[in-house]
Amino acid sequence: MDDFLIYFGYFILVINVGLYSYSFFRKEKANVFLLLYLVFSLLVQFGMEFLYHLKMNNLVLMNFYFLEQMVLLGLFYRSLYQQVVQKKFVLIALGLALLILISRLVYDPSLQFKFNLFQITITSLLTVVFALIHFYNMLTENKQYYYLTIGVIGYMFGGTVLFLLGNLTIGLSDDFKYLSWRLNAFLFIVYHFFILFEWVKSFSKKGVKV
Amino acid sequence: MRENLGYEKEIVTIILYTSCFLMVVAVFLVVFFYFSRKKIIQKELEKRDLEIYLNKEQLHAVIITQEDERKRIAQDLHDDISSKLNIVSLNAHLLSAPNLTEAETKEITENIINLTAKALENSRKIAHNLLPPVFEKFGLNAGIEELCEEFESSKSVNVNYTNELDLDDKDIDRHLHVFRILQELMNNSLRHGKATQIWIAFKNVNGINTCNYEDNGVGFDSKKADNQKGLGMKNIDSRISFLNGTINFTAEIGSGFAVVFTF
Repeated sequence: MDDFLIYFGYFILVINVGLYSYSFFRKEKANVFLLLYLVFSLLVQFGMEFLYHLKMNNLVLMNFYFLEQMVLLGLFYRSLYQQVVQKKFVLIALGLALLILISRLVYDPSLQFKFNLFQITITSLLTVVFALIHFYNMLTENKQYYYLTIGVIGYMFGGTVLFLLGNLTIGLSDDFKYLSWRLNAFLFIVYHFFILFEWVKSFSKKGVKV
Repeated sequence: MRENLGYEKEIVTIILYTSCFLMVVAVFLVVFFYFSRKKIIQKELEKRDLEIYLNKEQLHAVIITQEDERKRIAQDLHDDISSKLNIVSLNAHLLSAPNLTEAETKEITENIINLTAKALENSRKIAHNLLPPVFEKFGLNAGIEELCEEFESSKSVNVNYTNELDLDDKDIDRHLHVFRILQELMNNSLRHGKATQIWIAFKNVNGINTCNYEDNGVGFDSKKADNQKGLGMKNIDSRISFLNGTINFTAEIGSGFAVVFTF
């Protein structure tokens, strides 16, 4: 059951990467940062799977995943924004966040081998904020990456709390340990279904983008 | 004991971070809703302003059309009737002059009779142009038939008119708008389109009275802004809005002009 959820998540991720790169390279329509984000997600997922089979601590990669998610989604939304103020805000917020997080890692390198709560909170918050700003912009404009943004916000809410609880689950007995991760795998699948749906809505049709 | 303390610390940190995360997100959501409301209200206001502006524009167009029409009538009256009546009055004065021979009297009287006949004919034409009597007496169908005949006889254009509708004479006020729209369209086809063929068809499409109008003129580029809203087109638009109908233009350079409107 667990394996099925996890591998099904990978499966959808691979499909999304394929579809979006098809749209990007063949039709030059999909956003480059979005494609990068999906490709990096795939690489990190496989890296974590690999490290897991080598019985190594794969949380380094997970922390890296959060950073990468914030930066790439931030740049993705930045490319969608029209206002200069919003574009600047994204850059400044990303710069500050990266500065703080990296200096914390330098100060205490052991942080990257467990669930780095501060990092998870900051990165998720910023991602949600970028997505909300995009929602705000979409209020009176045409819908662009609408379903994807719904997916991002939904996954950030659920996933972040689960990751914040991560350190706690290590101490639990095996029976309950994996419950939260099963839930996370499920959320991950839902999230990538939204991304898939976004592709169907925006890119699968021939002709002009909605 | 020590391990237990560490564990508790861990739990407290997690709770703190979780609640912080949720609180900040909640604050952002509230801010988001606040600004969204503001934005929507502003958009609504802009829409209303635009509506007011369009209304004003329409009123403007109505006034200008009215003035143009007055000018046209004044000119017609002046050129076709006043001038003739002037000469009639001159001739009448001549009649009252003494020592006129028989032949002179006859010539002057003939002049007067001719001129009054022409003035009469002209005044009939002017009145006819303003509101065709056939239309008033026999309804839209007859009015359009007469309009087509007029166009065919005087302006070297072939008009095909078909009617599948059963038009109710009680709606004559609404039909006048339809009549005027067709008049305007036909005039445009001739004046701007140089058309030689015009097709007019009234049909009932799903219970809605529909008129298909088409010509084979030079057409125009419907994407160009100047072509979209001339005074005549504005006039047609406001008539359509009176009729609660819809109108659709399709025009391309070189392939004529087609209109479908409902009433």
